[in-house]
Amino acid sequence: MAGFFKIAIRNFLNSPTTDPYPFGETFTPENYRGIIDYTPELCIGCNTCEYVCPSGAIRVREKEDGSGISFSFWLNTCSHCGNCGYYCPTDAVFNSNDFHTARHQSEKFIPTIDDGISYVQCSNCKQKMKRPVEALLARAYEEITEEVRHQTSLCPECRRMKRFERM
Amino acid sequence: MFSKYATKSPWLYRINTGSCNGCDVELATTALIPRFDVERLGCKYTGSPKHADIVLVTGPVTVRSENYLIRMLNEIPDPRVIVAIGICPISGGIYRDSYSIRGPLDKHVEVDVNVSGCPVRPQSILDGVAQAIGIWKDKIKQFHEA
Repeated sequence: MAGFFKIAIRNFLNSPTTDPYPFGETFTPENYRGIIDYTPELCIGCNTCEYVCPSGAIRVREKEDGSGISFSFWLNTCSHCGNCGYYCPTDAVFNSNDFHTARHQSEKFIPTIDDGISYVQCSNCKQKMKRPVEALLARAYEEITEEVRHQTSLCPECRRMKRFERM
Repeated sequence: MFSKYATKSPWLYRINTGSCNGCDVELATTALIPRFDVERLGCKYTGSPKHADIVLVTGPVTVRSENYLIRMLNEIPDPRVIVAIGICPISGGIYRDSYSIRGPLDKHVEVDVNVSGCPVRPQSILDGVAQAIGIWKDKIKQFHEA
């Protein structure tokens, strides 16, 4: 009985347990999988995120004018599974902590992210190609020498020719 | 006489159209536990569609539930605000293009607010309900003027 009164008096003196959210700040866990965020500087346009997305929320396509690759994300079909962030080789796509997903019906078909990367030119033949990304080079090579740098500035066709000449 | 005060307390009604129960559990937590108290916004859950002002719909509208959904929506009086909870009623989500899905919800009824998520976070539902209350007040005003 005494224990009960102890708890009752303690709870009476404590502040309310209600989350103050619509009127104040709320707590979000660090690993909460919220709305997807995208860093174009890290993206290599490999299409992995679109392939692993179970609900078809991500679309990676070549831009209509052929200047690069576009990345668009439709929030209203994303199931927040985190596959895109898990499989992204350069961590360009990741789940942010943002949970504000309530939208008006007029915004239903507007993509949350509409971004993309642009192609770079090969230093030899001036052909358009996907640009090299530092994060991927660091994974592929132990140390990035000048020769590696020169090779990454070439398109796959020129690189093959250069390697063949060396043999 | 009470119409001025009635606008401050819309009643919520929830319809499950073949949901996986994830969003329904989140709805129950926003209403029932003091942690995410939806009654602070003046809302209250009702058991009858005839008393409903804001309708929360979960689930991707399956073939079996389609008929019941339409019958239920016909019983809800105007003005009403329809809120789609979760990605299933909004776009079909991961069940999109399935043979047993007659969704999305806006094929059947005019939706006002979409709250996406799988399942939705209780705080997001509160966000959506707050938006819905704003729309509902506008609709009440138009209803009285007409």
